[in-house]
Amino acid sequence: MNLPLRPITILIAALGGEGGGVLANWIVAAAQRRNFPAQSTSIPGVAQRTGATTYYIEILPVDSAALGERRPILALMPGPGEVDVLLASELVEASRAAAAGFVTPDRTTLIAATSRSYLMPEKTAMADGRIDSVALVEQLHPHARHSLFLDMESLAREAGAFVNAVMLGALAGSAALPIADEDFAAAIRAEGKAAEANLRGFRAGSDAARAAVPVDLADAAKRWRKAAASLESLEAEAANLPEPARDIVVEGLRRLVDYQGLAYAARYLARLVPIAAADTDAGLNGVLLREAARHLALRMSFEDVMRVAQAKIDPARLARIRAEVAAQPGEKVRIVEYFKPGIDEVCSVLPSSLARPLLALAERRGWLGRVYWGMEIETTTILGYLRLKLLAGLRAWRPRSHRFREEQREIEAWLAAIRTAARFDGALALEIVECARLIKGYGDTHKRGTANYRAIFERIIRPALAGRTPPALAADGIASARIAALADPDGARLHAALTEIDRRVTMSAAAE
Amino acid sequence: MERSFKHEVQSLRLGAGDIFRGEGILAVTKALLQSGVSYVGGYQGAPVSHLLDVLVDAQDIMAELGIHLETCTNEAAAAAMLGASIAYPLRGAVTWKSIVGTNVAADALSNLASPGVMGGALIILGEDYGEGASVIQERSYAYALKCTMPLLDPRPDLAAIVNAVEMGFELSEFSHAPVMLELRIRACHVTGEFAAKDNRPGRHSGLNRFAEPAPFNYARLSHPPVTFAQEKRKVEERLPAARDFIRDHKLNEYFAGDFDEIGIVVMGGLYNVLMRALLRLGLADLYGATRIPIYCLNAVYPLVPEEVREFCAGKRAVLVVEEGHPDYIESQINVELRRGDINTRIFGKGALPMAGEYTAEVMLQGLAAFLAETRPAGISVEPIVASVAAIVARRRAAAESIGALPPRPPNFCTGCPERPVFSAIKLMERELGPTHISTDIGCHSFATFAPFNLGNSILGYGMSLASAAAVGPNSKKRPIAVMGDGGFWHNGLITGVASSLFNEGDGVLIVMQNGYASATGLQYVPSSEGHRDGGVTGVDIERTLKALGVKWLRTIRSYSVATMVKTLREAMQSTAKGLKVIIADGECQLARQRRVRADDAKRLAAGQRVVRVRYGIDDAICTGDHSCIRLSGCPSLTVKPNSDPLRTDPVATVIESCVGCGLCGEVAHAAVLCPSFYRAEIVRNAGPWERAIDGLRRFVLARLGAEREAA
Repeated sequence: MNLPLRPITILIAALGGEGGGVLANWIVAAAQRRNFPAQSTSIPGVAQRTGATTYYIEILPVDSAALGERRPILALMPGPGEVDVLLASELVEASRAAAAGFVTPDRTTLIAATSRSYLMPEKTAMADGRIDSVALVEQLHPHARHSLFLDMESLAREAGAFVNAVMLGALAGSAALPIADEDFAAAIRAEGKAAEANLRGFRAGSDAARAAVPVDLADAAKRWRKAAASLESLEAEAANLPEPARDIVVEGLRRLVDYQGLAYAARYLARLVPIAAADTDAGLNGVLLREAARHLALRMSFEDVMRVAQAKIDPARLARIRAEVAAQPGEKVRIVEYFKPGIDEVCSVLPSSLARPLLALAERRGWLGRVYWGMEIETTTILGYLRLKLLAGLRAWRPRSHRFREEQREIEAWLAAIRTAARFDGALALEIVECARLIKGYGDTHKRGTANYRAIFERIIRPALAGRTPPALAADGIASARIAALADPDGARLHAALTEIDRRVTMSAAAE
Repeated sequence: MERSFKHEVQSLRLGAGDIFRGEGILAVTKALLQSGVSYVGGYQGAPVSHLLDVLVDAQDIMAELGIHLETCTNEAAAAAMLGASIAYPLRGAVTWKSIVGTNVAADALSNLASPGVMGGALIILGEDYGEGASVIQERSYAYALKCTMPLLDPRPDLAAIVNAVEMGFELSEFSHAPVMLELRIRACHVTGEFAAKDNRPGRHSGLNRFAEPAPFNYARLSHPPVTFAQEKRKVEERLPAARDFIRDHKLNEYFAGDFDEIGIVVMGGLYNVLMRALLRLGLADLYGATRIPIYCLNAVYPLVPEEVREFCAGKRAVLVVEEGHPDYIESQINVELRRGDINTRIFGKGALPMAGEYTAEVMLQGLAAFLAETRPAGISVEPIVASVAAIVARRRAAAESIGALPPRPPNFCTGCPERPVFSAIKLMERELGPTHISTDIGCHSFATFAPFNLGNSILGYGMSLASAAAVGPNSKKRPIAVMGDGGFWHNGLITGVASSLFNEGDGVLIVMQNGYASATGLQYVPSSEGHRDGGVTGVDIERTLKALGVKWLRTIRSYSVATMVKTLREAMQSTAKGLKVIIADGECQLARQRRVRADDAKRLAAGQRVVRVRYGIDDAICTGDHSCIRLSGCPSLTVKPNSDPLRTDPVATVIESCVGCGLCGEVAHAAVLCPSFYRAEIVRNAGPWERAIDGLRRFVLARLGAEREAA
């Protein structure tokens, strides 16, 4: 008989701690049940804890007995262009393997999870640093001979198994190896530990691979909140606005009714009317209105103590948390909240007449950023709940608070800038709208964001509106300054970006 | 230990006629038992951590054979153990991670190699080189050269590895030199099979002890004046003996090929990579038949001049496949050929890269370059060069089309007790400005990665405090040295603490007391609560430091971020001079979870009250700024799409893997981040009284409008 000229090669790309070693053992054991020579190796070491790692397997699809005295010399590492199956438990890890040349259109069957375990830079980004999953999948397709993308994380969760069992199932279901399901299943059984759960995971993986149902990646990202209040009149008014902005405005209205009340929501709509006109004048087809409506709703529903308390006593919250922490019916769940208000937060609730002198005093004594009242409130006790309910009830008082006045003043200045800019440059107006993204959060985060926003406002937006900077240069400058502001928390990049813009403005002035 | 080999070690009992199947490391252990060792020892470190773990799990089997096992406190201790073979006919083996472990062991190794051994002494080195390596990239070969110790580098095949172990002992006894055997990372973990032999006890062992000590023999001491004679004996007697043995027992292999105007000399460990590359170029088959003659060095030191000359004579050119820098083997071959007046041209470094791992692609390129240069008759070189160029070009194009992906380095585990200490250092630095951080070896060196990015130097295991000794006196701020309990006992206590006290140093030392050598797989250290035999060691870091005379000493629960920040501030600003030690106390979460999960399962089954703690984040309150992640980096703290249609930035979320360590809450509190974190305690099997109160509360709260079914 003709002996195989080369082995079948399988590369597993996984994260440390996902059971990749066990998976490799299962595959080798299943191959050995067919009496195929097989070898696996790995680079476990500690260096892989939660980091990217690989396992490599070679299987010779022939009965050992047919080899006689001959022994295949199997490789310990994959070569580029020499991988038959790439099995990845995470999407970026599949891409990493493809970038190393381990996924090629002439021979590789790519079986990859669509699940993401975000990389550190994606998680620590100050705004949205996530890599686009849809783009990754599209990019991977042409590299492989066959590709199979599965939502392995959900399959594992639903089966109550670990992802490695689902991966084994997907490998079996892909029919890339001349090994039957029974052999894989027997390997799981022989290993013993948690065999039942692993077999469930295995079946989930193999069924999904055979069905090869395409996954909709965009689906998860689009979970819109359900309608809450009845604000027909305001919503009807919003219906007159240009199409691209309409749904956002409706969301904004609902949010503000929930946040403060109908009158406040009406004020939101009123504020948008001149923006809508500016949008039409500038020929922006509703894009300016849509973005301004989005940010305006967020700015008008700024986070304060009342807002936090309101969220913490949201009637749907307890059930949501019980589901999230997988508490069974009848089990007691105790919830503890962490609050640490400082002088800023206290003053924000007081009227300006009291808040101003108090803030000035705190500033003089150096209390700001140093004096805090740390408290842990148990929402699941009656007294704890009532404390939060009382705080949330303070929202009737909100329009008279110092913070509210300050915020409205800032919002008006921002809207005025947008309207002015729209008169001579649509792009500039859009950039000014986007700057609202910098202001968010509480405490340090809020302080830092506001400072960055003000720096950009004073150094770029104001001179541009006064006609001292060419609009295109200003729009470009705002965009790069905004990205720089979100690049690092200590503001080094923003400082550098602002300096660079000053230099360019001076140069362009000199050129004229 | 992180991984248990209780099940696998049963295969160590196999005897003649059985086929052993398993991992490389386990095969080495089996080979030791088949070789009649009397003692084994070592210090853990990838890729040979598991060798020590296997030995620990195989204690019963070893006890039956009277083998003594020592889990040494460092590699110097392990190397010194081999001293038993100097004056007694005892076979012994030790293991550690190289190059670092060999460096630590260097003093004992020199003193061992000089007098030489009577019983076979084998050192199994985990050659931590190339992909997956976690240490500086240097070769162990230098030690073989300078100490005149044979170095084996078997083909990565279980039968070849086992043979090398068995032959290693005989070589050691025949030449009276200790022998080193290097195994690369993948070889340690490669699976395979070999025909087993019976285990055999050593002639002398715990079962058959020597009645009398060895007679006094000055010649066996590495002490002048005999050291001068020993040096001569190494080169005049032991080296020739080793060469004779290697030649007579055919440790090196020769594979004939028909294109014999050229040839390839390869280190045994690289044989499989070479063969796969030749297969791809159509110059070999899968079963070992090669068109180009190959001389495979399973013994890479010493070289056998006759064999080298015989292989090269009559060939136009020979390629030396020698991984790593410098090119020790290539240089020796060139010298041998000169001495023999053989004019074969030697290719090596040049065709192949000077440094770095010889991967499949590197090997292909090296072979193509060698063939393009030598153009042997019968091989059409152009298609080979073109196919290699195509492979490389395609890989490059793939890399380009995918684009740069951020790396995914290792990180602290979920709930790791060391992470909060670095959160605290970050917060302290926010107040007082950055300070010099002297880093060490261990899990805590993950703090050098994002999001902490902390650390100014790494000088070796247990060396952090010592490496800050000259920084403090030249800086306005006190340096902080971080050390694990593993590093502390490995040598930090002496090189760091004792030296700092002796020299009246003024710095801060943080000792991570997590109870294990966690980075290498949860081995016990002297201050562990338990012991591998189940007993208690009674060794304690705090008491040790006090006895040594450390005045400023605080033990802080590592998860108490606020207290840790306060303590760090105090240590940095205190007017008192002298060493300030903070013991950050928190058990390794991997070990803790393993225990807690089992306990909880038992308690649940018995109907007892069990509280599970998890943290969570309110989406509506989270601002999507991710400050919390920048101060933690916990794998279970990640991001998810924002459920709010008005906001695009993803919000932070705590996923299922959360173990409830509490760091999120502590950080949110200590850093005044935001009120979106909550702690949920799920009480199972609550008592009747607790249930009644809870029921009453829920009744009242429901009336107050607190709860509604989830939408």
